[in-house]
Amino acid sequence: MAEEQINGVIITFFSTASAVGKTLISINMASELAREGYSVCLADFDLQFGDISNYLRLTPEYTITDLCESIKTDSGSPLMPMLTTYAYEGVAFQVIPNPKKLEEAYNLSAETIIEVLKNLRREYDYIIVDTTSMFSVLNLALLDISTIVTFLGIVDFIPTIKNMKIGNETLRTLNYDSNKIRLVLNRSDSKTHIQLKDVVSILGEDFYHILHNDFISARESIATGIPLVLNGQESELTQELRALVARYTNKGYQAVETQKRDSWLSKIFK
Amino acid sequence: MINNNIMLVEGNRLYLEQLSNIIRETETVTLVARFRDAKDALGQGMVFTPNIILLDADTPNIMSLLGEFRRVYPNADIICTGEKWSAETSSLYVNAGAKCFLVKPFSSEELLDAIFAFSKAATAGKEAKVMTFFSPKGKSGKTTLIANLAMAISRKTNATVGIIDADLQFGDMAFFFNLKPQSTIVEAARDTDFLSPVSLSAYFVPVAKNVSILCGTKEPSLIDKVSIHSLETIINMAKTMFQYVLIDVPAGFNPTSIAAAEIADTTYIVAMLNGGYEVQHIQRSLDVFTTWPDYKEKVKIILTRVEPCTITAKQEMEEIIGYPVAGIIPNAYLDVATAADDGRMALDLKPNSPLSQRINYLAGRITKEKQENDDDF
Repeated sequence: MAEEQINGVIITFFSTASAVGKTLISINMASELAREGYSVCLADFDLQFGDISNYLRLTPEYTITDLCESIKTDSGSPLMPMLTTYAYEGVAFQVIPNPKKLEEAYNLSAETIIEVLKNLRREYDYIIVDTTSMFSVLNLALLDISTIVTFLGIVDFIPTIKNMKIGNETLRTLNYDSNKIRLVLNRSDSKTHIQLKDVVSILGEDFYHILHNDFISARESIATGIPLVLNGQESELTQELRALVARYTNKGYQAVETQKRDSWLSKIFK
Repeated sequence: MINNNIMLVEGNRLYLEQLSNIIRETETVTLVARFRDAKDALGQGMVFTPNIILLDADTPNIMSLLGEFRRVYPNADIICTGEKWSAETSSLYVNAGAKCFLVKPFSSEELLDAIFAFSKAATAGKEAKVMTFFSPKGKSGKTTLIANLAMAISRKTNATVGIIDADLQFGDMAFFFNLKPQSTIVEAARDTDFLSPVSLSAYFVPVAKNVSILCGTKEPSLIDKVSIHSLETIINMAKTMFQYVLIDVPAGFNPTSIAAAEIADTTYIVAMLNGGYEVQHIQRSLDVFTTWPDYKEKVKIILTRVEPCTITAKQEMEEIIGYPVAGIIPNAYLDVATAADDGRMALDLKPNSPLSQRINYLAGRITKEKQENDDDF
C-alpha cells in the first residue's frame, strides 16, 4: 500500500507595493527553515524579473520552464532532480529559478505552475513562494493554493499605503480564512513622516509581525549573496526574521516567553 | 460676440430631425440651414452664411465632398459627424480640412465643446507625440517622472499634454495630483464605442493650464473592465486631442504595457538604481525591445535615483548597460515623498533643485527632438 501522502506547507510572499523586501525575506525564511532541519523549496515566481538566482549567485541548469515542460509531458519522472540547490556552511535548500529568457516567462501558464507546486508539495516540508506585486492570474492561483499568505507592506509614502490598503481589502474580498493572510510590516522605522499607528488605523488591522529597517545589513546580504540568517551576524533584523519563522513553524515565539517572564516578575514585585 | 451659424448636412432623415432639435436647444448657436443632400448644401447653403458646417461623414464620397466644402466655404469650420469614431478615418477627415469629429447623436455640451474648446486646440490635424513609460519592476520612480515631465513640457512650450494612467491595478497618478476623479479610464473604456476625441476630453481631469489626466482604476479588480482594444482606441483618440501624450503602464511585460509601447513613438525604460539587480532587469527588457527593427529611435532609457547625478555617472551606466541612457534623475526621495504626501509635485516644491533641473532638461530634449549630443547630459 502506498504511503500516506503528506502535503507540505506553502507560504507565499505577496505585496501590492513594489520593492518591499519580498525576495530578501523569502530567501531568509527558506534559509532559516532549512537551518532548522526542514526540507525546503524556494520558488521564484516573479517570472519576468525574479532576483532569487541573482541574490543567491545561482547558475541554474533548469528553471520553472523545464519543470512545466516535464509536468505537461506527464512523464511521471520526479521533478526534484531538476531543482537547483543552494548550500552554505551545511545548510541547504532547493530553488525553482525563474525562466532564463523573458519570453519564456510571458508564455508560462498559471495552471501548469500550480501543477508543479502540487507535485512538489508532497516532497517538501515547506515551499516558500516569491511573487510580483499585482493581482495577476498566477498570483491569484498562488494565493489560493497557499497555506499562509504573508502580505508584506512598508510605510514610506502615502501612495504605497493607499496601495497596501487597496491590496489588503482586495485580499479580504477573496474570502480566505482570516488567519491565512498575515500582514507583516517591513522596514518599520525607515525615514518617513507617517506614523505607524495611522497606518494601522487606515488598514483597520494590526500587523502580525514587524521587521525593523536595517538597510546596511540588507544591502550587505545582497552584495555578498549570503542570507542574513546564515551569515553569523546576529543583527536585530536577523532575530526578527528568526522570530517570524518561529511563529510560522509554531515553535513558540521568543517574545512570548519574555512576556511570560515579565508577568511572573511582575507578580513577585507586586 | 461671434455668431455661431450652423449649417447641418445630414443624409439620414431621422438624424436630420434629431440633430436639428439638439442644435435648436443649444444656447449661443443658431441653426441657419439644413440639407439632406450635400450637393444642395454646396450649391445653396452660402446664402445663409454659415460659419460652422456639420457634415455627415457617413455619406459616400465624403473625402471629395470635404474638399469641395472647404473650397466653397473657406471661412467656415467643418465638423464631421458619424455613427462611430475610428482613428484612421477621422484623421483622414482632419487632414482633409475638418476641425474634428463628433459621434451622432451628440449632446448640446459636446457640440459646444467641439465648437469652442476643441476647435481652438493647437493640434490642427497634427498627431501628438506619444510616450510610454515602461519599467521592468515596480518602484521605478516613473509616476513622479511622468507627472513632473508633463508639467515641464507644457510650461516650456505651452503645448497641450495628456497623461493616461494605464497602470491598471495600482496607478498613483490621481494621488500625485490630489484628485478624486468622477471619471477614470474605466468609464472611458466602457464608453469608447460611443466616444469621439471631443467627448473623451470630458473624461480627462485638468490639473494645470494645458495638462490633463485620464486617471487610473480605483481598485485592482477593475482591470478587466479596460480591454486592450479600448485602451488602444483611447490612446488613438488622445493623439488627436493633445500635442504630447504620456502613458503610465503596469510594471513588466503584460498586454497593457506591450500595447501602449507598440502605439508609442518613444518607449522609455525607467528604472531606479537601488543597489540591486536593476541593470540586469534593464538588459533583460532590452532583449525584448531590441527585436523591434527601429528600436534605436523608439526605445530609450531613463535612470532614477542616480547619485551622484553627473555626466560621468551617466556614461558609466551606458557602459555597464551597453545602451545609450537618455536621461538621469537624482535621488529626491524626501522631496518627492513630502510632495506626494501633500498631493503636490516635487517640481513646484523646489524649482531649482537638481531633480527639477534634470526633468526640465529631459522636457527640452523631448520638445526639441534634436539629436543626442555627447557633451551635454
